Amino acid sequence: MSVRVQPELRNQLIQFGIGDWNACYHCGTCTAICPLSEEGFLFPRKKIRLMQMGLKDQLESSVEPWLCYYCGDCSKTCPRDANPGELMMSLRRYLTSKYDWTGLSKKFYTSEVWELAFILLFAALVVIAFLVILPSMGYHFTKELTADGGVKVNSFAPIHIVEIFDWTMAGVVATLLISNILRMYYQIIWKKSKTKVSLWVHIREFWLLIFNFAVQPKFSKCDDKRYWLSHWLLMSGYTIMFIVIVVYLPWFQTEKIYPVWHPQRLLGYYATIGLLFGLGVAIIGRLVRKDVKFQFSHVSDWLFVIMLTLTATTGILIHVFRINGMPVATFISYIAHMAVLVPMILIEVPFSKWSHLAYRPFAVYFAQLKKYAVPK
Amino acid sequence: MEEPRIGVYICWCGNNIAKMVDVEAVAAEVGNLPNVVLAKTYKYMCSDPGQDLIIKDIRGHHLNRVIVAACSPRIHELTFRNAVEKAGINPYLFEMANIREQDSWVHTDRSEATKKAIDLVNAAIHRVRFHEPLQKRSVTVDPATLVIGGGISGMVAALEIANAGKQVYLVEKTDRLGGHVARFDLTFPHLSSAKQMIHPIIQRVENHPNIDVFKQSVIRDVSGYIGNFKALVQNGQPEPLELKFGNIIAATGLKSFDPSKIEEYGYGKFPDVVTSMEFEEILASGKVLTKHGKEPRNIAIIHCVGSRSKVYHEYCSRTCCMVALKFVNQIRAGLPECNIFEIYADMRAYGKGCEEFYAESTHRQIIFLMFDQQEKLPVIRQAEKTDDCNMLIEMDEKLSGESIEVPVDMVVLMVNMEAHDDVKDVVHAIGVSLCGNQFFIEKHPKLDPVATTTGGVYIVGTCQGPKDIPDSVAQARAAAARILATIAQGSVAVEVTTAFVNEEFCCGCQTCIRVCPYTAISFKEDKKSSEVNEVLCKGCGTCGSACPSGAITSKHFTDRQILSEIEGIMSMSYKEI
Repeated sequence: MSVRVQPELRNQLIQFGIGDWNACYHCGTCTAICPLSEEGFLFPRKKIRLMQMGLKDQLESSVEPWLCYYCGDCSKTCPRDANPGELMMSLRRYLTSKYDWTGLSKKFYTSEVWELAFILLFAALVVIAFLVILPSMGYHFTKELTADGGVKVNSFAPIHIVEIFDWTMAGVVATLLISNILRMYYQIIWKKSKTKVSLWVHIREFWLLIFNFAVQPKFSKCDDKRYWLSHWLLMSGYTIMFIVIVVYLPWFQTEKIYPVWHPQRLLGYYATIGLLFGLGVAIIGRLVRKDVKFQFSHVSDWLFVIMLTLTATTGILIHVFRINGMPVATFISYIAHMAVLVPMILIEVPFSKWSHLAYRPFAVYFAQLKKYAVPK
Repeated sequence: MEEPRIGVYICWCGNNIAKMVDVEAVAAEVGNLPNVVLAKTYKYMCSDPGQDLIIKDIRGHHLNRVIVAACSPRIHELTFRNAVEKAGINPYLFEMANIREQDSWVHTDRSEATKKAIDLVNAAIHRVRFHEPLQKRSVTVDPATLVIGGGISGMVAALEIANAGKQVYLVEKTDRLGGHVARFDLTFPHLSSAKQMIHPIIQRVENHPNIDVFKQSVIRDVSGYIGNFKALVQNGQPEPLELKFGNIIAATGLKSFDPSKIEEYGYGKFPDVVTSMEFEEILASGKVLTKHGKEPRNIAIIHCVGSRSKVYHEYCSRTCCMVALKFVNQIRAGLPECNIFEIYADMRAYGKGCEEFYAESTHRQIIFLMFDQQEKLPVIRQAEKTDDCNMLIEMDEKLSGESIEVPVDMVVLMVNMEAHDDVKDVVHAIGVSLCGNQFFIEKHPKLDPVATTTGGVYIVGTCQGPKDIPDSVAQARAAAARILATIAQGSVAVEVTTAFVNEEFCCGCQTCIRVCPYTAISFKEDKKSSEVNEVLCKGCGTCGSACPSGAITSKHFTDRQILSEIEGIMSMSYKEI
């Protein structure tokens, strides 16, 4: 059966990144140079072809954009300067917006006004919570210090309430992400009318998902290993912080000041260093624009690194002010920390750039499932 | 006949020959043969010292025959003929043995290759004994030129010659000059106007005092030979006009392929499927509209219509890809919102500025779709009422591997360039040959692309093969320069190694007349025998081998010479058999 060419899809696609993919004349150099492209999952050329022709269904059921980790070798060797690497990046943004059923992702990617408005809205809610709601519930800020000279954080940010909020937020984000992943699964595996994948294969290959989430072995196949390392430091730091804050908040947010070698502080320091290192590489890269992968920065790329940097730095400030007995500064930095953290989690994870934390490992898993697909 | 005194020279050709052939052994072996005065070897016989060696020996040893065993005579026969002539020997008393291309380059056994070299040299020795001196001849040149075809190539060639003060007769089949170029709107790759370019040329040709233009005319009964042709111009008048001229330029061009032969494209069935030539006229009208007068929202351009196909023509028409990109630029300029589909088999963008033009055109929001010419052609069908378009093109898109359908309101077929239906009449009249694609054959595909094997007949423009305007013009000016050179010289040398008929042996069967590819032989009724026109004869030898009564001799290829050559080649190493 033939599929209808849809030239108008171009107008939609160009909102997600650079638009001049017609420069590509399909020499295939990009696919040949790509260390990740393999039999059965050939990219970027083939995906650029689908974009040029506006074959919407084929594009939306593609897993390949997520198998690309943007080393930029393709863009460097492209004889037509068609920037295949950035086209794959644009395609990931487009796919993110397609997996999202709420329609917010598309709004955030294509309109800066929408994205900024939501960030400010969530930030304002956080500020109101600390200045109005919590005090009305009897949790007031105090200048009194603890016996060992720390700030009494629990007075204005009571652990059990923050914990409930953290779990709720994690629950909302997880529900959104999981529903989007199901839609992604439907597009990539389920919808294929001619083939099916057995349940046993689903179970047998599940380890790949965990393994790829934890280590990103595919990323390490790109020629420049430095980016794998800086990405892994950032990702591991963030994961540690996330687990500690959501699952072990009572152990982490303490009024008592532990010695430096205590695991609570060591884990925190590792996570902070990992985050700042990874962010530093990304920010400097995007400013200097020497490396191909950092040459084109979409608004969503900048917002992601800026918000994560602000979250990390305000987190450091809370720590410094808390152990040094500076209650006012701790209070302000705690509110600031939450005011960037909450919108970042709520916007970036389910709707924007950070959703790749789920889509990438799942894509590797789904790609593996596709390899074992059999005719119906 | 004086006793032959033969000098034999074996060339090393650096290592090319010496590595596989023991040249000293060859020299020693043949040095003792009857009539051989000396046999020498030298590193490079074709070098100046090599040639000087021959000249000195001719004078010092009173040689009257010379053999050089070296490369192919195609490369250096003329070099050595000139050298022996310098020493006072008739150049046709020289013979060359090819021990490189036919020996050292193609063999791997040194002793066998050496034996073969001895055989080849021996053959030359046997042959050269019977060589006879031949005299160079020349004919005077009529300074007028006939140009057949009034397209851009013919007109440019005519102007070039006329501007040099020489008479030109320009014969055009249709009622107007300018050919295809006059029908184009813009040209690639610079998108400059074709009309602004061609009209001043037409004006200059029509008003030139040295050019006689014959429109709606054809040429017939061409006779004569280089420097001295005559022919009749038929233009509807009862009395045809007789012209005399020294050279002919054929600039008859090509015509558009008729796409109605290709069922898939529905040309003739769908009113909005048009050929590239028709689309030129639509563009020239200033507005691109469908037959219903609507602005098309989707236009497809299909490449290689009739080209590169096993069924129609296997050759590439060379210009259509760039013309299609020119269309794309013109459509985009006029219809900014229109979807433009380039349905191509391969994009061929060679030539100055063309690859750049292609790269630049890709930024005009064009959707390039590739089909496999050998597998399956795109198929155009009527769209349903519910569709948002006039027609649908179904095709297997090669670069994505998807079967797709393309919505279109107008389709432009980039039609192939093919030979005119009457091409055979033209080539027969002027004595040139056609290749399998019915293009005129040039004398040498690389070194002599405007001359033909018939002296004084030149081919320019697309009749020699599809080409663009700059190449046609370059060829036209090249042919004009060649003709002006012969006119300036006043006479031209003609072939020496021609055939001649021994009237006493001729039985009058006229076999030779039928086989001669150059129409050089005629029948003399009074003597009841054939006669060779030595100016037209190229010395190909066809008549000589066909003659049943042995009445025809080809000079320099006499039976005696060839038989002794065979004797020579068989008499050395093969005598053991």
